[in-house]
Amino acid sequence: MADTIPILRIENMTKRYGDNEVLKGASLTINRGELKVLIGPSGGGKSTFLQCINFLVKPERGRIWLDGKEIIRTRKKEINKYRQKVGMIFQDFNLFDHLTALHNVRIALVRVKGMSKEEAQDRAVRELDRVGLKGYMNQYPAELSGGQKQRVSIARALAMDPDIMLLDEPTSALDPELISEVLDVIRTVRSDGMTMIMSTHQIGFASEMADEFVFLEDGTIVETGPPEKILLNAQYARTREFCSKITELYGNSFS
Amino acid sequence: MEDLFFLQPKVVSALAKGLIVSIKLIVPSAIFGSIIGIIVGALGVYGNTAIKKIANGYVLIFRGFPLVVQLFIWYFGLPYIGIYLTPFVASVLGFSLCSGAYQSEYVRGAFLSVKTGQTMAAKALGFSRIKMILFITLPQAFRRALPGCGNEIIYLIKYSSLAYMVTCIELTGEGKIIASDSFRYTETFMVIGAIYLIMTSVASWLLHRLEYRLQLPGFEQYS
Repeated sequence: MADTIPILRIENMTKRYGDNEVLKGASLTINRGELKVLIGPSGGGKSTFLQCINFLVKPERGRIWLDGKEIIRTRKKEINKYRQKVGMIFQDFNLFDHLTALHNVRIALVRVKGMSKEEAQDRAVRELDRVGLKGYMNQYPAELSGGQKQRVSIARALAMDPDIMLLDEPTSALDPELISEVLDVIRTVRSDGMTMIMSTHQIGFASEMADEFVFLEDGTIVETGPPEKILLNAQYARTREFCSKITELYGNSFS
Repeated sequence: MEDLFFLQPKVVSALAKGLIVSIKLIVPSAIFGSIIGIIVGALGVYGNTAIKKIANGYVLIFRGFPLVVQLFIWYFGLPYIGIYLTPFVASVLGFSLCSGAYQSEYVRGAFLSVKTGQTMAAKALGFSRIKMILFITLPQAFRRALPGCGNEIIYLIKYSSLAYMVTCIELTGEGKIIASDSFRYTETFMVIGAIYLIMTSVASWLLHRLEYRLQLPGFEQYS
């Protein structure tokens, strides 16, 4: 499955807010079709790391290559192009409130990609169908449940044909009974071969799906490895401590 | 009104003439004022530091100077630097710039009320800043600003009466002429007031219709 050229390579990324160093030189490489899961305590830099990857937050230092090509982040147009290839799923869904589900998915196809309205419409309908929301096309965000909103946002990202998707705690804002519908969609997308970097506390789901766990704490990538190794046999005491707490809370598929 | 003074053709036609001038002042001023308001409001939120300062400075000055003073400057002041405006143009200019300053504050607040997550989502999809404003935040901000901006337009209808201070004879100006010719100040200005009341009522009805038509789930203004 893995290509020789990694689809995304991040090298030595740093970010600080005032005196607070949120990322202290994080590096990550991901091959096509892989799923890497960021785990670690809240405030450890997972969100900042994901947002730095598509420059929603401007990192101080760090280089990024997409499919072997370095992204020059001083070029605004290049960044806009790059962002089209990097789908982003947010914890709070961030649907456009004034647009129906269909138009949420369609708008960037028309306004950013320059597709014709008909073509974009077909594509949007197909993506909504893929996340099981064809029947909710004409609902506004205010009329959808949290799980449905998150599925629309996944459809919106998929419609752009991204090379990779970044998922920032996609189920953390959901009621427990809505989590599984979103996880099911992520599972489908994953099995269709999408490359993903996801931060989550759903450790059971993550360990079943992920190729690799990346333990991020205090702005540093402490340890990476296959899920079972990180969960059961981590090298560092801090990783073990975190994993034992989180498996106690959410369970894991190896115990 | 035993002699049906206000039905005399002379009076009726003077009032009608004044009303038409008033409408000709109000409509373009409301349109330009709204456009200025949207642009300045957007710059005040999305501009860089320098642009924000310019936008704030504009609002400070045009909200701070009394409107009459602004009109005097446009009409009596500009000729000193060789620019001669007709009373009508000076009035529309003054009303638009003043109204725009007030509108921009409503618009600015409305832009700020759009959740930042949505601007992040737009950027993440590859929207440029200008497209993000046009297609994502403005349609929402416009809906939220509408009640405030409508209020400002109602207010504009009434302060358009200041145009007669720079010799643009609109409804109030015609009224003043009729009143001083006939010495019927009370009746004349009661009638003038009633005409303004009708204008503001019509405007407010139209604005409510617009609000209602633009209403979406999640953007309800009425409960």
